Amino acid sequence: MEDQNLDAVKSEEISDSFVCCVCLDLLYKPIVLHCGHVSCFWCVHKSMSGLRESHCPICRHPYNHFPTVCQMLHFLLLKMYPLAYKARELQILEEEKEIGSFSPQFDADAYNSQSKRDLENSACGEPCVEQLESSSYILANDANIPEQTSDENPEVTGIAIDREKKTPQNWHNGNCKQISIEDVLCAACKQLLFRPVVLNCGHVYCESCTVGIADETIKCQVCQSSHPKGLPKVCLEFGNFLQEQFPEEYALRRDAVQLKQVDSKNGGQTTSSSESSKQGDIMSCSIDSKVHIHVGCDVCGMYPIVGDRYRCKDCVEIIGFDLCGDCYNSRSKLPGRFNQKHTPEHKFELVSPNTSHNIMLRLVTGQIDGGSTLFITDYASENSENGSTPRPLSGVSEEDTENIMVIPATSIDDGAEEDLDDSQTTNQISTENPIEPH
Amino acid sequence: MGTNSTGMMMISSSLSTSSASTSTWASTTSVSASGKRIQREMAELNMDPPPNCSAGPKGDNLYHWVATIIGPSGTPYQGGIYFLDITFPSDYPFKPPKVVFKTRIYHCNVDSTGNVSLEILKDSWSPALTITKVLLAIRSIFTNPDPYNPLVSGIALLYMTDRAKHDELAAEWTLRFAK
Repeated sequence: MEDQNLDAVKSEEISDSFVCCVCLDLLYKPIVLHCGHVSCFWCVHKSMSGLRESHCPICRHPYNHFPTVCQMLHFLLLKMYPLAYKARELQILEEEKEIGSFSPQFDADAYNSQSKRDLENSACGEPCVEQLESSSYILANDANIPEQTSDENPEVTGIAIDREKKTPQNWHNGNCKQISIEDVLCAACKQLLFRPVVLNCGHVYCESCTVGIADETIKCQVCQSSHPKGLPKVCLEFGNFLQEQFPEEYALRRDAVQLKQVDSKNGGQTTSSSESSKQGDIMSCSIDSKVHIHVGCDVCGMYPIVGDRYRCKDCVEIIGFDLCGDCYNSRSKLPGRFNQKHTPEHKFELVSPNTSHNIMLRLVTGQIDGGSTLFITDYASENSENGSTPRPLSGVSEEDTENIMVIPATSIDDGAEEDLDDSQTTNQISTENPIEPH
Repeated sequence: MGTNSTGMMMISSSLSTSSASTSTWASTTSVSASGKRIQREMAELNMDPPPNCSAGPKGDNLYHWVATIIGPSGTPYQGGIYFLDITFPSDYPFKPPKVVFKTRIYHCNVDSTGNVSLEILKDSWSPALTITKVLLAIRSIFTNPDPYNPLVSGIALLYMTDRAKHDELAAEWTLRFAK
């Protein structure tokens, strides 16, 4: 396998733009962080801290959410370097088998047909900024969540190779390295991406198509998921690549965007201030409130989960399936980040953080400050029931240790079918978490 | 998302009561992944070695390297050859490598057992750093010691109060141990 890999890398010269800064190999299932830096799915995941906010390996920019794989880049790399990317897939699959958790699988056909449909729908020439600004705007085909087809398809867990064989060969027969502008269109204006930014959900927009909505929560037009924090920074590697690949078209797009910016001169300015204030919110709440160490939300990617945590009782995968309070209440139907076979019928339970664990960690990591007295009383009251017995991974006897509040079955069904009452959604969430439920 | 910190392991073992974490996004770094990354760094080092440094595996073990740094000219360490031991953790590059001086050196940031106080080898480690960058950082403390975060406070004090005497001693040690 090693030889295969090396041969492939030799035959296809990989641009430095697409070498992961962590594994120093071709990016595989690339994720673009808030700061615009790119890394592989597993490289980002393993670089994150399960205890507090994480930092970009390159620029140390703090972030709290594990972003979704950028499918546009994923399919672009597959098209440009079919052999090397395939070799990476095999290699990663081996590692995934070793650790027992799997990265998400993507269906090239679904992705293609979705982008074609998007193109057809884009005939209406409205300025994209307006589309984004109206929060009630819903994409015509919103019933179809393009990015994740796997929830209709229960047998996807980790069987990447079998699936790939079934898909038509147009992606990987020989050296079809030629990429076209259709592969790199903005999700809003449907033109060649200019200064691309990637949202938490992995969808790519021109920077200019997201400016102007910085004061509100940014919501992806394609999948309707909200983007935490302010406007992401431009992914420069990707932008430079596009400029090299399509110099004329890119220059045209630059002219068009600059013209538009002269027309509406306010906007962009407010970004930094709103971003920094939101950042502050997250940092302060991570000290004061419930932190679920090493537990991530499978929908928005918040890691560690701060606030309420809902654990799926029916998912059997080692990695589990958890939601943060907001995502639980928004009844998101997105599948898990790690190919879990989660279905909307599954039942959830509310889990309290392991408080004794938390307090010890904070003592060790020096996170306890003036607010600690409050915390200790909290700890004392919970500790009586909680104990600090070892917690088996099997999850069978978790009720003994984890202080679980099982929600009555009826209310869970309601939760899946219709909106929960506001009283149910715990007032805490809205103050703790800057992300608004959809 | 995953458990990926050895710090975490250390803490949970000290908390003998709660052995397993509450992790659901638990991930363990596969050994093959860290090995691949180390091999890539080795290739990069051979192709484009940093000035006056060299590094490579000690023997068959990919995780145990030896490195040399030549004392930069214009410093009291000029002409000295310093050997360092580098040990990679199995979850490299998500945890920093351990770097120890094997050659005695008179320096306020290196103690008598060879431990180096360098922020990037501790809390400021980033998985995007490589051995090349670590060696360059170590080389830079030859030129610019950091007396405000010393491992040997006596040397730091002398460095700040009587630089000439400090340099004289350092040069003497260079001659004695590093040539």
